[in-house]
Amino acid sequence: MTEPRGRVLALHLGVIAALFAAQFVLSEYHHTNVARIMVLAAYALGYNLLLGYTGLMSLGHAMFFAAGMYGAGLSIYYLGFGAFAGFGLGVLAAAGLAALFGLFALRTTGVSFLIVTMMFGQACYLAILYFNEITLGDQGFILSGRLPEALVEPGVKYNVALAVFAVCFLVSLGIVRSPLGRVLVAIRENEERTRLLGYDTWACKLLALVVSGAMAGAAGAAYALLFSYVGASFAAILHSIYPLLWTLLGGAGTTVGPLLGTGLMFYLVDVTSGWTSAWLFVVGGALLVLVLFFPLGIMGAVRARLAPWLP
Amino acid sequence: MSNTPPATTAGPLLETEGLGRRFGGLSAVEDVSIGVRRGEIRAVIGPNGAGKTTLVGMICGRVRPSAGRVRFEGRDVTGVPAWKRVAAGIVYTFQVTSIYGTLAVRDNVALAAQRRLMGSPGAWLRLDEAALAARVEGALHTLGLDVHRDRRAGDLPYGHQRLLEVAMGLALEPRLLILDEPTQGLAEHEIETFCERVRDVASRATVMLIEHNMKVVLRLATRITVMDRGRVIADGDPASVEADPEVQRAYLGRR
Repeated sequence: MTEPRGRVLALHLGVIAALFAAQFVLSEYHHTNVARIMVLAAYALGYNLLLGYTGLMSLGHAMFFAAGMYGAGLSIYYLGFGAFAGFGLGVLAAAGLAALFGLFALRTTGVSFLIVTMMFGQACYLAILYFNEITLGDQGFILSGRLPEALVEPGVKYNVALAVFAVCFLVSLGIVRSPLGRVLVAIRENEERTRLLGYDTWACKLLALVVSGAMAGAAGAAYALLFSYVGASFAAILHSIYPLLWTLLGGAGTTVGPLLGTGLMFYLVDVTSGWTSAWLFVVGGALLVLVLFFPLGIMGAVRARLAPWLP
Repeated sequence: MSNTPPATTAGPLLETEGLGRRFGGLSAVEDVSIGVRRGEIRAVIGPNGAGKTTLVGMICGRVRPSAGRVRFEGRDVTGVPAWKRVAAGIVYTFQVTSIYGTLAVRDNVALAAQRRLMGSPGAWLRLDEAALAARVEGALHTLGLDVHRDRRAGDLPYGHQRLLEVAMGLALEPRLLILDEPTQGLAEHEIETFCERVRDVASRATVMLIEHNMKVVLRLATRITVMDRGRVIADGDPASVEADPEVQRAYLGRR
């Protein structure tokens, strides 16, 4: 029990250290890409906590990302909030939305839950467009000029993105390896059984949803701060599908999978869109290969075949 | 003398009062009033569809009664959700084996055992792993599952899965352990071992046993409740129940 524990911690701290070191060797182009990947990976980490460990599939997570993005963006744009306060408000807005949403949506499970998340997600997207006068949703707005000078620096951007990712990464590792994490997996495997072991499964699922929403919100708020743009397109359903794909590609129910999946997909799109305008074909083909040969995702396959100690 | 025992130990451990459940027009259980004393092994028997599983479902909180009350240790638990009743000591093991097939045998039992260690909010993030392991080993040992601790639970033979189900119940430190047809699908020699294990368990907890195998019932039960078409038609010690003419007509005679 103690031996893999050290290995697990070493692996996770090693990933963070490698990302930190990478900023000194990456070219300017990849430097920006990796910063973006780390923010989006935080989004995927939150998604994975819900899908991979609790067994709840959502198609509405963009609403939490957007809550973080607009929570930060609107408070900075209209109220003159600072970057930190805006970020904090974004995370709170997403967590609050997740709690409120959970009170309704967690009355359902399985496919019904999936559909309810999608409907709520779409409702949020349309609400952003409907209140266009306030949200400036259809055009979007930029935050440049309203943020601290330092945030323009690529080096600062990179390390802020890394900090957001690292916190989400370690929090999700901590949860997964805690007694609470074991109960979440139990709910994923057999909820009725878990209830009859004396666990309030509804409350556990709500907690997982709130943490998941908060991470999505942290990613959304960080995205607004670092890339300076806030727009309704981030609340659209495509943006709910992305974290699902990233998580499945990297390996649902693995702590490292979301980062790997996000990075791979990002570069897959990046490279193929340079070759051809039909890049979605290539992405689709890659996903087919994945589903056929690695149904557990990359890290899922690694865990099954090489390293059963991976969390 | 003035030395009266506390109220909780005076009455029966479990009491139902006019308990009933209708599904649409069908009355699955009707007007059941029984009492189970501490230390009993209570068998509940009756033909298929007699309402046995529905009755224990209402006792453990899986099924909401449409009439009547359930009292446990003198406290009315009728409206208490199932997961809270587990905390009070009412533990149900499933008729259709319900284990975590993809997890190791040990982890299955650990999920049950850790429930008892998670009293404080902090324990949800970190708990005493040594104490947990000791409890898990204890439950595995009682059911003779020690050697299988690292196997995937879903790979165990069916008989062992039934035992694992009981081990999980035991790790919850029940005051009332409800076993729903535990020997269904077990081979003859497995039933032998199983009966011994249940006797072990009964020294620590009151047991309620739904069972079709009359040999098992007569070997284990200290008291028998017979149900037919949703109603209790007899309730007493094994000898008097066996002799009851209505029981013979309704149940034993049909076999």
